[in-house]
Amino acid sequence: MLLIRPLQENDLDALYAMAQNAGKGLTTLPADTELLQRKIDRARDSFSQRCAPEAGLYLFALEDTETGQAVGISGIEARVGLEEVFYNYRLSLTVNASRELGVHVRTPTLHLSNDMTDTTEICSLLLADNYKGGGNGLLLSRCRFMFLDEFRKHLSDKVFAEMRGVSDANGQSPLWDALGSKFFDMEFSQADRLSGLGNKSFIAELMPKYPIYLPMLPDSARAVIGRVHDNTLPALKMLEAEGFNFNGMVDIFDGGPVVEAFIHNIRSIRESVNRHAMVVSKPVDLDVPPEQRVMISNRSFRDFRVTTIPVDCIEPDTIRLPRDVADALRVESGDPVRLAPLKDQLRIPHRR
Amino acid sequence: MWRVRPAKLDDLQQILDIAGTQGARLSSTLPKTEQRLAERISHAQASLAAQAPKTPRRILLVLENTETGQIAGTAGIDSRAGNGEPFYNYRRDHLIHASHELGTSRRVEVLYPSHGLTDHTLLCAFSLRPELRETTAFELLSRARMLFIASHRDWFSSRMVVEIQGVQNEDGSVPFWDSLGRHFFNMDFETADQYSGQLSKTFIAELMPPNPIYVTLLSDAAQAAIGQPHRQTQANYELLQQEGFLPGNYLDIFDGGPVLEARTDGLRTLITSHPKTLHGSHDEHGETCLIAAGEGEHFRCLLTPMAETLTDDVKVPVSTWKGLEKSAGDRVRISPL
Repeated sequence: MLLIRPLQENDLDALYAMAQNAGKGLTTLPADTELLQRKIDRARDSFSQRCAPEAGLYLFALEDTETGQAVGISGIEARVGLEEVFYNYRLSLTVNASRELGVHVRTPTLHLSNDMTDTTEICSLLLADNYKGGGNGLLLSRCRFMFLDEFRKHLSDKVFAEMRGVSDANGQSPLWDALGSKFFDMEFSQADRLSGLGNKSFIAELMPKYPIYLPMLPDSARAVIGRVHDNTLPALKMLEAEGFNFNGMVDIFDGGPVVEAFIHNIRSIRESVNRHAMVVSKPVDLDVPPEQRVMISNRSFRDFRVTTIPVDCIEPDTIRLPRDVADALRVESGDPVRLAPLKDQLRIPHRR
Repeated sequence: MWRVRPAKLDDLQQILDIAGTQGARLSSTLPKTEQRLAERISHAQASLAAQAPKTPRRILLVLENTETGQIAGTAGIDSRAGNGEPFYNYRRDHLIHASHELGTSRRVEVLYPSHGLTDHTLLCAFSLRPELRETTAFELLSRARMLFIASHRDWFSSRMVVEIQGVQNEDGSVPFWDSLGRHFFNMDFETADQYSGQLSKTFIAELMPPNPIYVTLLSDAAQAAIGQPHRQTQANYELLQQEGFLPGNYLDIFDGGPVLEARTDGLRTLITSHPKTLHGSHDEHGETCLIAAGEGEHFRCLLTPMAETLTDDVKVPVSTWKGLEKSAGDRVRISPL
């Protein structure tokens, strides 16, 4: 069984291996033991409410219950820009016109912006290669919406995701080459890594503060602004299906887009329903294709857990759970649980 | 004999010819259409007659052959750059982007839109037929403006500027314009330059990018052209530097050419020129110097052999009197070449 649960102390090694495997481009999870340890500590403090829930970092592990190993990770940053400064470029328009001369020129312009400050971000998604497919990626990503739904009082009205921008096989980014490299004495990968380490003061110190007029950049750089890396297309498609849209912000280094949605509009959240757990002794065939499964979460903040269960188990008021699933979710008969579709096609029958 | 005098409407056709001559232009432009140029000349004539000392005046002088009446060059002075409207330049400045933590520091060059030179006195509209470029007529035409200023000092401000034509390729393309202005003005350099020669510069306010420009994002050719004078203006550039002008931090917004600055009272011609009383001489020899006389529309400036006396008098040939339209006992101003 694959289970979503809060990230734990003993996940460090698995996490490090995954981060190393992911290579460049995953800004928020660099392969750095010390940094990953700090993230684990922060996540632990967040779930145990040793810090304000509005300032938490909620990291979830996807655990293969047979091995006890973490095979994936995903996260929610309750508010970005609380301690460091959070930067984006806002893609906007400068219009110059002269009625007298009959000239009307529109100039796309990048403005350095901190507009995402205080907004909830979904971030840090990583899945081990041998677990890709079978709906595992969907579970890892969409489980976060169940958490957002449940605990939205701690979060902002809107949630956003930064999508990885275009870079080639050698990690060269066209936008970085045309813009960032003119101001930073370093490679894209190094800048990206420094930024991931959480120290963003160097950005404030070195980044150009005045707007950048796009016609002054080469075609290769302009072409990638607001575009995602090919590897990120499936993730973008998934978020778009949830109701996320490009909000005009792009990454300051690689030009990747920021997509956002109001929490109450996210499809998984709109289509989720409540049931009560009913632990059954009769065995349930859990091995059904992802199209026929739904996500099920307990409703605990400190020990938030999600897994999937066949849609057949849904009853009008309850959901039938075999003992091992109930144990994994830490629920007993009568406890409230919440359900949401795993795949887009599925509709959960509402209570009659 | 070459003589500098204020332009008249009769000169219109000849000035148009010069403006159309390839390579004659050395600084900002005169209008190329008859109607606009006529307006410009009328405005210049009105400027000479204006009474209030602080009125923005646009003086336009021409270089004339007194024997043939041929006009061979023009030189202008705007008493207040911008003529009552904003005067646009880029100010070239630097920011240091330093990261204490990374131990790096980088000098970032930025062009700021600026009106800082507005109301300074501007030398402009300088053009000369190419065949006269190597002659003393060149110095006569250029420095006649300084003598005009010396003779009408209270019309002009305490600081002077002159925009020097920037780099332009053989095919007419202007690298600085192509990398910057073209994107915003959506027109070629010649068209923009023509518009800027007209009275209103509203179009610049409307079309110029409102924010500073990072030099490092310009094309290599445009970066290389910043603050560089056009080859053809080299002699003019050097003469102005001898006069006391120096390149500062300002650039032309269209071609990136240098803007030279000076203190009016520090100009060599203003310091070395002296008022004298005109006297006759039969001697056609002597040290050649600049001589100017007359006010407003009667201003005349030419080159003359001269014999100085120990007194306030200056002895020049009678032909010079005629050129100046003055006679013995009148006040003149002289300056050595």
